This record gives sequence, structure tokens and C-alpha cells, in this order.
Amino acid sequence: MKYLSEYRDPVLARSLVEKILATATRPRVLMEVCGGQTHTIVRQGLQEFLKDAVDMIHGPGCPVCVTPLEQIDRALFLAARSDVIFASFGDMLRVPGSDSDLLQVRARGGEVRVVYSPLDALEIARAHPEHEVVFFAVGFETTAPANAMAVWQARELGVTNFSVLVSHVTVPPAIRAILDAPDNRVEAFLAAGHVCTVMGWKEYEPLAAEYGVPIVVTGFEPVDILEGIYMAVRQLEEGRAEVENQYARSVRRSGNEPAQELVSKVFELVDRAWRGIGEIPSSGLGLREEFADFDAERKFDLGSIRTSEPEECMAGDVLRGRIKPFQCPAFGEACTPEKPLGAPMVSSEGACAAYYNYARFQPETTGEPV
Amino acid sequence: MSIASTGLTCPVPAGDADRVLLGHGSGGKLSAALLRERFLPRFGNEVLSVLGDAAVVAVPGEEIAVSTDSFVVSPLEFPGGNIGHLAVHGTVNDLAMMGAEPLYLTAGFILEEGLPFDVLDRVIEAMSESASEAGVMVITGDTKVVERGKADGMFINTTGIGRLDPEFRPGPTRARDGDVVLVSGPIGRHGVAIMAAREDLRFEVEVESDTACLAPLVEGLRASCGPAIRSLRDPTRGGVASALNEIAASSGVGIRLEEGDLPIPGPVRAACEMLGLDPLYVANEGILVAIVAPEAAGAALEALRSQATGVSAARIGTVTAERPGLVLLRTGLGASRVVDMLPGDQLPRIC
Amino acid sequence: MCLGIPGKVTEVYGAEGLQMGMVDFGGVRREVCLAYVADEVEAGDYVIVHVGFAISKVDEEEARRTFKLLEEISELDELEWMKEVAEQSLSVLESGKNPSPAGPDQAPPAGPS
Repeated sequence: MKYLSEYRDPVLARSLVEKILATATRPRVLMEVCGGQTHTIVRQGLQEFLKDAVDMIHGPGCPVCVTPLEQIDRALFLAARSDVIFASFGDMLRVPGSDSDLLQVRARGGEVRVVYSPLDALEIARAHPEHEVVFFAVGFETTAPANAMAVWQARELGVTNFSVLVSHVTVPPAIRAILDAPDNRVEAFLAAGHVCTVMGWKEYEPLAAEYGVPIVVTGFEPVDILEGIYMAVRQLEEGRAEVENQYARSVRRSGNEPAQELVSKVFELVDRAWRGIGEIPSSGLGLREEFADFDAERKFDLGSIRTSEPEECMAGDVLRGRIKPFQCPAFGEACTPEKPLGAPMVSSEGACAAYYNYARFQPETTGEPV
Repeated sequence: MSIASTGLTCPVPAGDADRVLLGHGSGGKLSAALLRERFLPRFGNEVLSVLGDAAVVAVPGEEIAVSTDSFVVSPLEFPGGNIGHLAVHGTVNDLAMMGAEPLYLTAGFILEEGLPFDVLDRVIEAMSESASEAGVMVITGDTKVVERGKADGMFINTTGIGRLDPEFRPGPTRARDGDVVLVSGPIGRHGVAIMAAREDLRFEVEVESDTACLAPLVEGLRASCGPAIRSLRDPTRGGVASALNEIAASSGVGIRLEEGDLPIPGPVRAACEMLGLDPLYVANEGILVAIVAPEAAGAALEALRSQATGVSAARIGTVTAERPGLVLLRTGLGASRVVDMLPGDQLPRIC
Repeated sequence: MCLGIPGKVTEVYGAEGLQMGMVDFGGVRREVCLAYVADEVEAGDYVIVHVGFAISKVDEEEARRTFKLLEEISELDELEWMKEVAEQSLSVLESGKNPSPAGPDQAPPAGPS
């Protein structure tokens, strides 16, 4: 596949690894923000190639993982209503709420549909005027333009039986929270290539300057990630702390301005809780007042939902990169993909699931301290 | 259709003459008519036509192979076939995977009230065609009808009976260190075709279900390699990954795959990229995986490739004594990763 | 966040006030909303698609430039080094044991610098 397969070329990958190993004068600690990047790193075994030169810490870049428990419980409540068709991306179906998940709700008779695009959820609403259709609008800034368009079109077309349950989070505040943590070990970041395709990288320049950390906007294929790591390591060795763009075939400094424009017309910045991390101010998106009719939280009475998180779940520490998944006592025992305690074990790019599926038999998963 | 008017509401409204009604499952005249007009003409054989409560057939040998499977696919019709093809191929193939020659099939139907007759006819036609092609006789069956909404159009169960050859008994426990893993054709076609045919994901792809009878491929392997064929498996639900995990677990061996050797058609790869799926877990209905003694691998590949359904047969890995139960994949970059069973269905993802 | 793949725009059209297009992802075709790249994209261009929306047009010039750069730093010859890592990776998984740690006195894998 063009613009994809070339970035999986083993010879290029190997050359980049050699460059990295030759450039790093001491072990470096980097964080990749995006779950899709985590997925590639673990699935392709890139950490093995990097040996001790680079330690990749997996960041909270999995919007599925950080969706607050309250939102999951609200989703389950809505999906169980007989007058609601609940539409969602596939990622959310197995994420555990306080005591259930969307798949179980479906098994008990709730109408839950997987869609690929938010516009498909709008189509379902138009095809089923007798039902309320609620779409679970989850994601980082990458998905916000798509979710915004679904709401915008709903209003344009006069669709009244469509609403969204919003759980959008933004990346820069999370990076700031990680950098502010007193035990932070991360020296440089690989920023999420598709988030930056939409947002550009302007917001990262003050972070790089203020904290003195290199930030490299990076793609998702093995060659992209290795090139991003190489660029970050080179900056560290040269004492620079700038924002660089590895994913130049998709990302420009200003990002996608029409997308940003529609997002700001439909959404506004709000404070958001990140599951396992806690509340980060101005780190989320909520629907603007004029779109209240399309906000599932305002349309339905979601008042008395009580949430409870299993105590043993250490998702927060994993998401902040404090521990590796296998250091959680529940990992592989009380918590597995079949019976997950928290979201990172469910999401295909959650760090816990990635380790469980791909790396649990490797020696570094036997519990040596990081 | 003339209905005497008695002032009562007719339970067989004229407008529904083209679809299945609850009455068709009640064992009375409508049921008989359904059997006589739609099933018998297509399945007609001397055993079925007796219409006894049970079929009586001769089965040679002391042991027979029996397999049952239920088919609940939605949509009922998809590029490359329909539920009828799956219902015959699925069970015939399960018999063939044990080295059995398929002889007879039963066919039980649960039909949803309102199912259009033309759909039913196409499904029965497909079963009849597939059965003839596989050389099996449909000897007995059953039909029930459930209320609208209680069955996705139709559910079919088939049970198959096959004759065993004492010299040819592939089985899941027989794989051993040094054996070679072969696949008879391209991976992932059926699952992708089904996903494309469903309304919700809305993509188009020139991929058809690979649904096919595997008995001829198995016969070719038997004739050329005999007992050197240790295990055969048709990787349906859960894909190649699940089938190999099952063999690894049953035989107490490890399996090592080479990513570069997996035959994955371009469009299947592209669809999986788009939806975030792994082709190793996508369902197939017309390929088999074979675990073969190393000295017979060449002959086995040749035997597969000599038939139309096996032209793309490929060697995809080896069996090892190390880490029994573990299936590992060596990636294009050279690192190895675990290929585990999934907890449930693979779901499309956006992350 | 994440799953965005490149595809080729084969048709562009309007639907209900939105710029839409058919995009081919190497054998799979899907309708994609082009509203966010409307001014820059026409049939024949490549776009990155996420959840049915084109979020960027692939900058083919950039892609070519960075690829050339990558090719310059790559040595297109033997893959011995790669094989070594592969063997080690496999043997580590198979034995379930720790590989011997690379200490300061051990030379890094041999390869052209």
C-alpha cells in the first residue's frame, strides 16, 4: 500500500536503529504519546532493537483508556434504554464500566452498533426517526473534527433524534501534567502524528521551550517511529529542545485549519477527568451551549449514576509511565483481556493489552524493577 | 389463491404468499407444502423422499466421523455465496479435516417469519449444489419457524457423517517438533467479504468469500502423503491464529510463523489496515492449514497447488518443541511476537 | 490517536452540502468526507483518512524528500546484523530466559558505522 508499506521496510528500519545506537552516548528515556505508536512499538518489537540505548515509556495516548469511568457508565445507561440506538467506535465495546460493558449491555438486549465514522451514526438516526440515536464521541483532537461535523450536519439537516455523548481529551495538557510530575524521567517526546495533522505543532513550542524537552511529531509505521526516535536522541545529544516534524508527509505547523475552525464552532475547552490520572484543567472538549440539543448529557437524565473503580487497577500509574504493565500485581492474574479491570487492558493500544498480547513472554516482563 | 369468505380473518393473507409464515413451521399443510414444493425438489434423493421420522442409511466400517455445526451468518447472502454454501461446506470440511470421506448430511432450519421465499430458494439451491459437488446426500431435515425478530432471517444446523480410512487419521494432537505448517490458500477473504456486505461499516472491496468444499484438497494430500499429514484444520472463526493455537495446545508443541510468508491478498490487507484488524484472526471458509512431516512438505505443497482451490498454497511456518502451546510470529523486521487467542471477536478500531 | 491510513481519491462530489469523495485504499473503497481538504484535493491525490474523514493531503514532495534522506543513510547490503537480532529475539522468547545483559565491556553488534 502506497505511503504505508515503504515505511515498514526492514533495511531502512535497521539503518535507523544503527544510527540511534551510534548516536546515543548514554541511555535515553523517551515517551511516545499516542497509543497507535505504542501499538507499533510493541507489535514490532522495536524496544528489543533499541536495547538499553533508549527506554520507550508508553504515554496516556489512548483516548479509550482515559475516558472517565463516569462517561462509560453513562454510555451503558443510555445503551440499555429501549428507545436508544447506541452507536460507538469498536474500541469502546469491551471497556469495563463500574459493573458492565457495552457488549454485555448488547447481550441483555440493548441496541449497540459499531460504526466506522460518526457520519454513519447520523445516518442511523435518519434511518430510524422513531429511535433516539446516541453516538459515543470519544477521542483526541484527531477525531474531534469528524465528531464536530456529525453534530454540525445534524443541525444543518434538522435531525432531532441524534445526540452525542462527548469524551474528548486534548494532548498538550497531558504532556504538561507528565512533565510536572516530580518523578518524571521522560527526556523527550514523540508527539502524535495524527493529532498534529489536525492541530499542527504550534502548541508544542512553548512546552519544548519551557521544559527544555525535544518534541518530535512522529508517524505510526516502524520507520516513522524509529526516525522520530533518532531525531529526538540527536536533539538530546546536541543539547537542543525544539519541535521537529518527522511526519512531514501529513503534518504542517499550522495543521488543518478548516478542521480546527469547525471544531471551535462546535466544541469548547472544558476541564476533563482522565481515568486513572484525575482531572486536568482545560484538557477536554465539550459541546457549546448552542448545540445543547445534541448533547446527550443534557438531553437525557443521567443524574444518579454511581461509579466504582476496582481498587487493584493501577491504570493511572501505567498511563503516566510510572510503571510498566507487568509491574502491576493484577497483570495477567486478576486482570486479563478476558476479564479486564481497567481500560488499558481492553483497548488494543492500551499499554497493558499490548504487553499482554505481544510481550508477556519476554524476559523483561518477569517483574524486574524498571 | 382462492379463499372462501366466511367473515373470519384469513390466517393466510394473500399478500404474504411470497414469504415464510409461522404456519409453515407448525407441522400441518403449510409445512408439508413447504417441504414438498421447496426442499424436496432440490434435495431429492431416495432416502430423503421416504420422509420417515429418521433416515436409515448404511455406514461402512467400525468407526464413523460425525460433525455438527450451526450457521447464523448475517447477511444471509454475500459476495461469493450464501448461508447455504457455508452450511454444507462447513460441516463437510470438518469431516474432511479428520480425514473422513463425507457421506451424509442432515439439515435443520429455523426460519424467521417473513423470510422471503426467493431468499429461501436460493439458500436451498446453494445447499443442493454444494452437496452434489461434495458427493454428499442430505438424508433428513427439520424446519421450524419463529416469530419475526427471533432469528436473523434463518439459522441452519447441519450434521455430517463420514467414512474413515484407518490409514489416514490426521488429528489435532499429532503435530510434532520439526513438522512444517502449510496453508492451502489466501487468508482473510471470507471475514472481509462479510464485513463489507454488512450495512454498518460501509466499504466496498473486490473480495469474495472463499467458501469451498475442502474434501478434494484433503483427498489430494491423502493420496500423495498419507500418514505424513499430521493435522488438518479449517481456520473458520478466529482465523489462522486460533486454529494454530488450538493445534499447539492439543499437541503440546510450539508453532513459529513467518510474517513474510503469509499469503494475504492486497485488498484483504487494505481492509484490515483501514479497520485496524489483524488478518490472522479473520475468518476463512475455503482454506485449510496442514501440519505435515518435514520430508513430505514438498509433495504436500505440490498436491495442494495442483488443484484450483490450492494454487496459492504456501509454507508459513514450523513446529517446535520449544515453549509448547506458544504460537510466535517473526515480523518483517525480524523481531518475534506472540500470536495469542483473542478473548472474543475482533472489533474494528479507530485508535 | 491514531488509525489514519493513506488512500487515493478516485472521485470527488458534493452531497448534502459536504464535499465527499471515493477513496481507494489499495483495493478497498470507501466514501470519505473531504470537507477538511476541499480546497486542496482532487481525484488522483492521496489523503490520510481517519474515521471516514480526510484529515490531510499527503505531501508527495515531502514524502519523496524524506524517503531519499532515509535511503541515503541506509546501507542496502547484507542483513546479517538484522538476522542476529532476529535469532536472539526468537531464542529469548523460546527459552523464556534473560539474554545476557550488554555491559560496558561488550562491543555493540558489528555493523558499518
